[in-house]
Amino acid sequence: MKRIRTAALATAALMVVAGCNGTSVGDTAGGDAGAQDGKGDVTGSLQLTFWGGANRAAKTNAVADLFVKAHPGVTIDRQNADFGNYFNKLNIQASSKTLPCVMQLQGRQLNDYTKRKVLLPLDPMIESGVIKVDDIPKEVVDTGRGPDGKLYFLPYGAAYDAVGVNETLAQQAGIGLPKEGYDWQQYTDWIASAKGKLPDGVFAAGARGGLPNYFIAYQLANGTNLFTDDGKLGFSKESLVQYWEMWEKLRKSGVTMSADTQADEPEGAEQNFIAQGRLMTDSMPGNALTPASATLAGKAGGQKLTTLPMPSGPSGPGNALFSSGFAIPTNCDNVPTAAAFIDFFTNDLEAGKVFKSDNGAATNTKVLQAQIDDPALPALKKHELELFSKIAENKPPTILYPPGYQATFEKAFTRAYEEIAFGKKTVQQAADSFFNEANAGLGG
Amino acid sequence: MTAVTVGARPLFGRRATRNPLVIGLLRHALLIGVLIVMLYPVVWMVAASFRPSAEVMNSLGLFSKNYTLDNYKNGWSAGQLNFSRYFLNSIAITALSIVGNLVSCSLTAYAFARLEFPFKRILFGVLLATMLLPYHVTLVPQYILFNELAWMNTYLPLVVPKWLGVEAFFIFLMVQFIRTLPRELDDAARIDGCGHWRTFSRIIVPLALPALGTTALFTFIATWNDFLGPLLYLNRPELWTVSLGLNSFLDVTGESAYGSLFAMSTLALAPIVGFFLGAQKLLVEGVATTGLK
Repeated sequence: MKRIRTAALATAALMVVAGCNGTSVGDTAGGDAGAQDGKGDVTGSLQLTFWGGANRAAKTNAVADLFVKAHPGVTIDRQNADFGNYFNKLNIQASSKTLPCVMQLQGRQLNDYTKRKVLLPLDPMIESGVIKVDDIPKEVVDTGRGPDGKLYFLPYGAAYDAVGVNETLAQQAGIGLPKEGYDWQQYTDWIASAKGKLPDGVFAAGARGGLPNYFIAYQLANGTNLFTDDGKLGFSKESLVQYWEMWEKLRKSGVTMSADTQADEPEGAEQNFIAQGRLMTDSMPGNALTPASATLAGKAGGQKLTTLPMPSGPSGPGNALFSSGFAIPTNCDNVPTAAAFIDFFTNDLEAGKVFKSDNGAATNTKVLQAQIDDPALPALKKHELELFSKIAENKPPTILYPPGYQATFEKAFTRAYEEIAFGKKTVQQAADSFFNEANAGLGG
Repeated sequence: MTAVTVGARPLFGRRATRNPLVIGLLRHALLIGVLIVMLYPVVWMVAASFRPSAEVMNSLGLFSKNYTLDNYKNGWSAGQLNFSRYFLNSIAITALSIVGNLVSCSLTAYAFARLEFPFKRILFGVLLATMLLPYHVTLVPQYILFNELAWMNTYLPLVVPKWLGVEAFFIFLMVQFIRTLPRELDDAARIDGCGHWRTFSRIIVPLALPALGTTALFTFIATWNDFLGPLLYLNRPELWTVSLGLNSFLDVTGESAYGSLFAMSTLALAPIVGFFLGAQKLLVEGVATTGLK
């Protein structure tokens, strides 16, 4: 018993020390040889990993099948899991140096991986022409860059945060929609004007001072950099205090939901409060419009939902793009095939038609236009894609997320506001402790 | 309870009833109340699995006007493969794990409870110490080890450890149980000419049935519900277990199929409930036969 475990641990420890790269399948030199231009034979086996449920898996598999058909001799081993579990697994694969050759990432986690130097820079492959970025807006490509300015994943789909508005409820309250180009003052006034005009149990907005997405939009609209170059907080404590006081004013006047009800909100676009018709407006991912509308349509009477760009400020609308794309790890032993697959997935028109912008709008403008022009595209989905085009045209700012962003910033931010809303701390105290906590955990 | 108050001042007022019927009713009402609170989420899930998908998330109640079996039909054939495959995979892994745990843990337990060998106490201490080590500490080394052995996309990483007696809790459980069996039975067997194997198989195993039943039951529940193990080691959909199949209905970044999820979760619960009822009977029988000693 003991001996087995000791032997196992000892073997494992040895392997870590020796830095085993596993068995080599491809014919290129494997491992961390530094810059690779991705040229070479597109053949052999490839591992592909991505997050998503059965629907997305079916579409991704269809694209992978197209690629295999176009490149005889290639086989693709696929693995997928739900977002949270995907990253649990990816971290284990990263620490054991067995990352699949094509792995999906977002800007929010990117620098947890670049910090540990497990990803290959893609720039040499762009220079050699293996990966093309001609039809992708520069601002969108930049969302895949690390702190050193190198491109570590090629964004294929860009999601954005939008302001969701339940049109049916807003009309019932007689206040209509916020005007085009509305700013934060107008947005919060608009929310406040719904007071007393909504059905029982329905609120104008959630107690949303703790939602990072709104806050990021607020700072971007004011032209602030969220993070400094060394990965610490880039906005001032005063602006955070102002922001939280704005939400507190709404919450205390009773237009927003109470903090304890808000804390019970279920996760997922189909079942959160805006989808249940319990809120008139809330921040939501742009691509949540379709599933949330489906739940609302199932309610008695049926309700209609729409999405608007985030409120504007001196620096324009505060919309940032959250892109997803594929990266190649340093332990990959079949870089040419991986690079060819990434290019195919992102730029091929047929592939784009099959994938249908399932994970954010297609970043390739030609692929996106082809989808918008498709008469078979459902109206809601069309609205999602058109809103993206509108946002992308305005040259949205890029956020460079420091390492530890997801683990530290998002959790601490939400908790800090809850402490205010539950009356445990004043706004100033919460801002102080949030700054200490976030700056201690971020960057470095 | 009642005897205490005879001749003395009753503790809680004079009118406290001693009618066993009333006390029984109150006690059962309380238990049923607690049961409903605990069971409601499961009952809700079962009810939701029969509602049309647009209504699944819309109410906390149980009833709907439009019951349907669509969630079961769609859910069963969802994904790249269908659930019959996932169920077969789960059954295979679970069965092999149960047998492995029963064989390896009972043999190890017999050695610790009955045999004398050098460093026995230290080794037993080490065995118990492994229970203190969280699973996550050994996760990465284990993953590297199995990867180097080229066991990815096989059931070996999930099943082989069970045959090596790594579940210290079950070994401990059986050691404690075997220690309570009278050594005179072993001695009698030895006089009749039994070696260790026969003593183990003819005397200890039949008497340790309740402990074996408990081990089988807990192994079943743990293996059937295991998610992280299959997630790490089984990539290909044709190898997936039920828990991985259920996870594929969920997608926080896209569209989830909750109706199908609830329908398949209901079916996935059925074997556990069934096994529990079956094993419960086994447990009772085990206790009844050991009552002779």
